[in-house]
Amino acid sequence: MKRRTILAFMLDRPGVLNKVSMLIRKKMYNVDTLTVCSSRIEGISRMTITLQEDDERKVNQVIKQLEKFTEVISVKELHADNSYWREVAIVKLEVDGNHLETFRGNYNFEILDQKSEDIHIIQVAGSTRHIDGFLDAVGREYIIEIARTGASAMEK
Amino acid sequence: MNGKTLVVKALQEQGVKYVFGYTGGAIMPIFDEMDRQDSVQFIMSRHEQGAAFMAQGLSRASRSTGERKVGVCISTSGPGAMNLATGIADAYMDSVPVVAITGQVATGVIATDAFQESDVVGVMMPICKQTYMPLGADDVESTMHEAFYVAVTGRGGPVVVDLPKDVQNEEVSNGYNFDSSAFHPNLPGFLYHPTPEREPLQRAMYLINRSERPLVFCGHGVINANAGKLLQQFAEKVNIPIAFTLHGLSAVPADHPLSLGMMGMHGTVEANRAIMEADLLISFGMRFDDRVTGKLNEYARDADVIHVEIDPSEIEKNVATTVAINADVAQTLRAMLDDPMLTYKPRRRWFEKIEEYREVMKADLEAELAKGTGDGGGLLMKSIVHQLSKLTEGKDLIVPDVGQHQMMAARFYNYQTENSWFASGGAGTMGASLPMAIGVKLARPGERVWSICGDGGFQMNMQELGTVMEQQIDIKILLFNNGYLGMVRQWQTLFYDGRYAGTPMQSPDFGLIAQAYDIPYEKVENVKDIQPALQRAMDQKGAVFVEFVCDPTEVILPMIPAGGGFDDMIIKRPSPDKTAKKSGKEK
Repeated sequence: MKRRTILAFMLDRPGVLNKVSMLIRKKMYNVDTLTVCSSRIEGISRMTITLQEDDERKVNQVIKQLEKFTEVISVKELHADNSYWREVAIVKLEVDGNHLETFRGNYNFEILDQKSEDIHIIQVAGSTRHIDGFLDAVGREYIIEIARTGASAMEK
Repeated sequence: MNGKTLVVKALQEQGVKYVFGYTGGAIMPIFDEMDRQDSVQFIMSRHEQGAAFMAQGLSRASRSTGERKVGVCISTSGPGAMNLATGIADAYMDSVPVVAITGQVATGVIATDAFQESDVVGVMMPICKQTYMPLGADDVESTMHEAFYVAVTGRGGPVVVDLPKDVQNEEVSNGYNFDSSAFHPNLPGFLYHPTPEREPLQRAMYLINRSERPLVFCGHGVINANAGKLLQQFAEKVNIPIAFTLHGLSAVPADHPLSLGMMGMHGTVEANRAIMEADLLISFGMRFDDRVTGKLNEYARDADVIHVEIDPSEIEKNVATTVAINADVAQTLRAMLDDPMLTYKPRRRWFEKIEEYREVMKADLEAELAKGTGDGGGLLMKSIVHQLSKLTEGKDLIVPDVGQHQMMAARFYNYQTENSWFASGGAGTMGASLPMAIGVKLARPGERVWSICGDGGFQMNMQELGTVMEQQIDIKILLFNNGYLGMVRQWQTLFYDGRYAGTPMQSPDFGLIAQAYDIPYEKVENVKDIQPALQRAMDQKGAVFVEFVCDPTEVILPMIPAGGGFDDMIIKRPSPDKTAKKSGKEK
């Protein structure tokens, strides 16, 4: 299934998130990621939703029905080739510090905290694939806990 | 000033004359204030669902009058609000503007499972156009005005305002200042495109001129835009036959030479066959619902589609569109009528074909109407509706309930008055008729209103006879009693081998019911008595209740089975032994 990213701007009013998630459920999707943040303009939020759908018409239906909400200002689909999709992961790893440092070159991460000799809390940002690549490279078996923000996106 | 006075003030400023509802703990302050100010008339329903349908009736019927009104219903928190829900969902499906005001427990105890607390906003959100819960008296007035604005702007729909009890009593802050005449809601994304764009309009007219077998579709949007006359002019100007959706009925006189009657599951043969053959569908204000299209991949295969629709999310939802015009129906029609590019074509071959289709069931139906009784000897609903139509010259207001009798009323009444048909369509809510008829009568007091019910649906909201009695509402109630849930029975006859599971129904003595509410009653069992009984009902001042003993074997045809295509249309009546077949238990 094709991953779709929908960007929406909406009034920051109570219940809007509820409406959006209810529509996604009504359309029988399981949300991959959903991020909400404030936009440049006060009182207007920015929401990025990713879900799986191959059918172009169905995606357009979701967009039109989102636009129908009284509070929603504009909605569009962002395509992978002309936009950036990024997320951040915070990872608690039980890993040898030297092993971690070997990935410095390929991956841009920051050590936030070192609890003991081999307990590290690190932050890594980038595309979903980049983060997945990093985790695979370091070794998922070392992960104690992980928090990912889900995708936020911007058109080029 | 406090919350409750501002609610009543807003109602007054919005020109609300009637408020339908039922009181209770969490809404008492507003009721008290309505009573003190005496600017709106309160009509008590006997169940909140009734109030929602009364409000709908008022909204629907007033659309074609000089004063368009928004029906308002009001209830208390918890069960009161939950009882409104069906009527609200129904209004949403049928795009009817309604403002519902619900009481809510005080803000201090919200979300603590307080007495009569329900999450009204949470429940209503997916079944209405917008929900509000103002959390302070300062927000009440702007919320109320925004609610009315949202309910009527673009495609109409219900809006719910949930008012915590403490907010109703709260005083506004110092320096509170609100000018409703200067108020415009801040909704930057709530766009409404009433004016058609030039380019699609030109392409549409090109397709219309080029077409050989076109059809005009008349949907609810035509009624909502008050554009029946314009649609008729348009169809006459280009010489294209018109098919109606259930809600498009009564936009144009039903016996207009270009009219093909209703389309879809129980539509006429001529409408449905013509759709199969058409090379162009010009649809105004409709949403290609599944009851209209049947199997989508077989629907109007050879036709281009011009879709004129105020709600952009309906365009391309079910049917692929050749030209999409996201605009108000009336403005689009006016723009096309004014354009000299639009031309008349005789389309002789097309009309010859349509005349053939008109003949397919004509003889059968005429024979049935002439006989007036079914295989079981009971009266035929279609024949009663037909007689009513003749007697009233098709000029009266018809409010059917939901089911077989509704389809009979849709098909066999000769609608002459614009916006004279008020039905629960999208949601198909049984029990809608009686309360809706009350609202219709209050909106159009000078016209005669017929509430046509089946024995099933009538008993779902028959408590509203109390409102009829109390308010002395002059509606004529026709009960088509066949002892069954007729529409489901018809499906059981056709698709479940005549096993009538859950459809036979024992009813009370409706004569005694009518008597209890002080409503004149008569019962009709013979064909010859139909016309005189209807005449007496017409002549009677005030409410009347006429029960007709109907034949359970009657079916409404043609019928396109659910999920079937137009090729699967059933036009032959099932044999009497099939319709009469009884289930094992029913001896």
